[in-house]
Amino acid sequence: MSTNLNNNNEVSFVPPFLKKIFEYIKSTPVWKSIFRVGYPDTMPKRMAVMRSSFYMHIFPTKVGMHGMKIKYGWCMGGITFFLFLLLTITGILLMFYYVPEEHRAYNDMKDLRYVVPFGMILRNMHRWAAHGMVFTVILHMIRVFYTGSYKPPRQFNWTVGVLLLLLTLLLSFTGYLLPWDQLGFWAVTVGTNMASATPLLGYEGPFSKYLGIQIDNDIRFALIGGTRIGPNALIRAYVWHCVGLPLIATALMIFHFWRIRKDGFSGPM
Amino acid sequence: MAETKTDAMISTQPGYDKMPAWPYFMWIVLLSSLFITILIWVLSMFFNAPLEEAAEWAKTPNPAKAPWYFIGLQELLVYFDPWIAGVILPQQILIGLILIPYVDTAPEVQGYYNFSKRKFQVIFFSFGIFLWFFLIVVGQLLRGPSWEIYWPMIDYPLGGQEWTYPDQPLKTSQAKLYNLSLPVGITISVIGFIAGMTLPAMMFKKYFKEVGIIKYSLVMVHVLLTLGVVGKILLRLVFGIKYVIVTPWFNI
Repeated sequence: MSTNLNNNNEVSFVPPFLKKIFEYIKSTPVWKSIFRVGYPDTMPKRMAVMRSSFYMHIFPTKVGMHGMKIKYGWCMGGITFFLFLLLTITGILLMFYYVPEEHRAYNDMKDLRYVVPFGMILRNMHRWAAHGMVFTVILHMIRVFYTGSYKPPRQFNWTVGVLLLLLTLLLSFTGYLLPWDQLGFWAVTVGTNMASATPLLGYEGPFSKYLGIQIDNDIRFALIGGTRIGPNALIRAYVWHCVGLPLIATALMIFHFWRIRKDGFSGPM
Repeated sequence: MAETKTDAMISTQPGYDKMPAWPYFMWIVLLSSLFITILIWVLSMFFNAPLEEAAEWAKTPNPAKAPWYFIGLQELLVYFDPWIAGVILPQQILIGLILIPYVDTAPEVQGYYNFSKRKFQVIFFSFGIFLWFFLIVVGQLLRGPSWEIYWPMIDYPLGGQEWTYPDQPLKTSQAKLYNLSLPVGITISVIGFIAGMTLPAMMFKKYFKEVGIIKYSLVMVHVLLTLGVVGKILLRLVFGIKYVIVTPWFNI
C-alpha cells in the first residue's frame, strides 16, 4: 500500500462503541464479499474501487482536471442521463396505474390526481423531468458544439448524439398523447398531420398521388394506425413510448457512453 | 489505444493533470444528481402537470398547438407549406447536424471555448439555435386564436378561446398575399442559389481551397437553406409574398 491519504489525527465524533460495531460489520465475510476493495483511502484502492465495480466502471479511474470543471461541461450530458433514469423509474410506477385504452386513459389520469397516493407528484415529476430532459439534451449539444468536442476522433459519437436528441424528442412527443386530454390529443394531431405532407409518401405531399398514396395507406396511417388519432394511435404511442423508443435509446446510450469512456473527456491541444 | 486517442487530445499530452475519479468526480456526480432530484421534486410540489378536458374529436381547440419543442416548425407553417415546414426542414436540420463533424474536420480548438479561431462555425450554429428558439417563443407565447399574433401585455376582447369579432378580423389575416410568377420566381431562386454558392468561394479563396468543393458545397447548401428560410419569412412579412415558386405539383 502506498501513502495513507487520511489524516490520522482526525477528530471523530462517532462514539467508540458504534465504531466497534462498524468495524465488526466491515470484517464480516458477507460485507467483504460485497465491498471487496474496502474504504478507498489510498491511491491504489481509489483506482481499484473504480475498476472492480461494474457500475463504477462506466467512469474512468482518473479524470482530467480540465474536463471535471463545471464551467466546462455544465454537467449537461450527465444530467440528461440522470433525468432519463428518473423518467424510467417514475414511468414504470405510472405504468401500474395507467391503461392505454380510449375510455380509460383519461380516467386513469384523474385517478392519479385524486385517488392514487402520491399519484399527482409522480405524474408531475415525470412531466417536468421530461421537459427538463429535452432542454438539457439541447444544452448538451450546444456545449459540445462550442467546445469543438465533436472533432476527431469523436465525429461518429456526435452522430449518435444527434440520433439520441431525436429519440428524446420522439419519446417526449409519444408521451404527450397518453393522458388523452385535449392538450395532448390536438398537439399530436397537429404533429402527425405534418407526416401526411411528406413528399411521395404522405397523401397530401407533392407527387404522392402518382404512387397511389391515399389517406389510408400513407406514412401517417402507418404512424397512427388509422386516418385520425384514435385507440390505435393511443396504443402505438404507448408501446413506442414505454418499450420501443427507450430500448433504442438505451442501445444508443450504451454506445455513446462507451465511446466517451474510450476517448476520454475532450480537452485543448 | 491508437485507434481511439489522437495526438490532438489533451489526455495524450505529457504533464496533463489528472485526478482520481474517486472521490473528486464522484462528488460532482452525486451532488448534481441530488440537485436535479430535489429540483424536479420541488417543481412537482408547486406546479401541477397540465391536464385539460378529455380528448374529443369534435371539439377542435383554437389554436391547437404542438409541444413546445416542435412549435418552431408549426410557426413555420405560416410561411411554408407543410411538406417544407414539417418534413424537409426538420430533415435538413438533422442531416446538417450530423454533417457538422464531417465538414469541420480542422483539429484546432478542441475542448475549450473559442470564438476568434472559428468565427463562421460559431456564428452559423448560434444563428440556427437562435432561430429555433425565436420561432418557439413566437409560436408558444405570441400566437393565439387563428394563429394570429397576440401581444401578452394587451388585453384582447376574447370570448374564451374564440375570436369574438368576426367582422373585425386582425390585420395579418386580411392582408392580401401575392405569388411571384413562375419565370420570375425561378430566375430569382436560381440566381440566388448560384450567387450564394459561388460568391463566398471567391471571397474566401483560402477557406475554399482548404475544405475542398464537396465539404464546401455541403456547408453552403445548408447556409443558403437557413438564409432562405429567413428570406422567405421576410418576403412574406414585408412584401406579402406567399409563394416564390408556384407549380401544379408543389409550391415553395
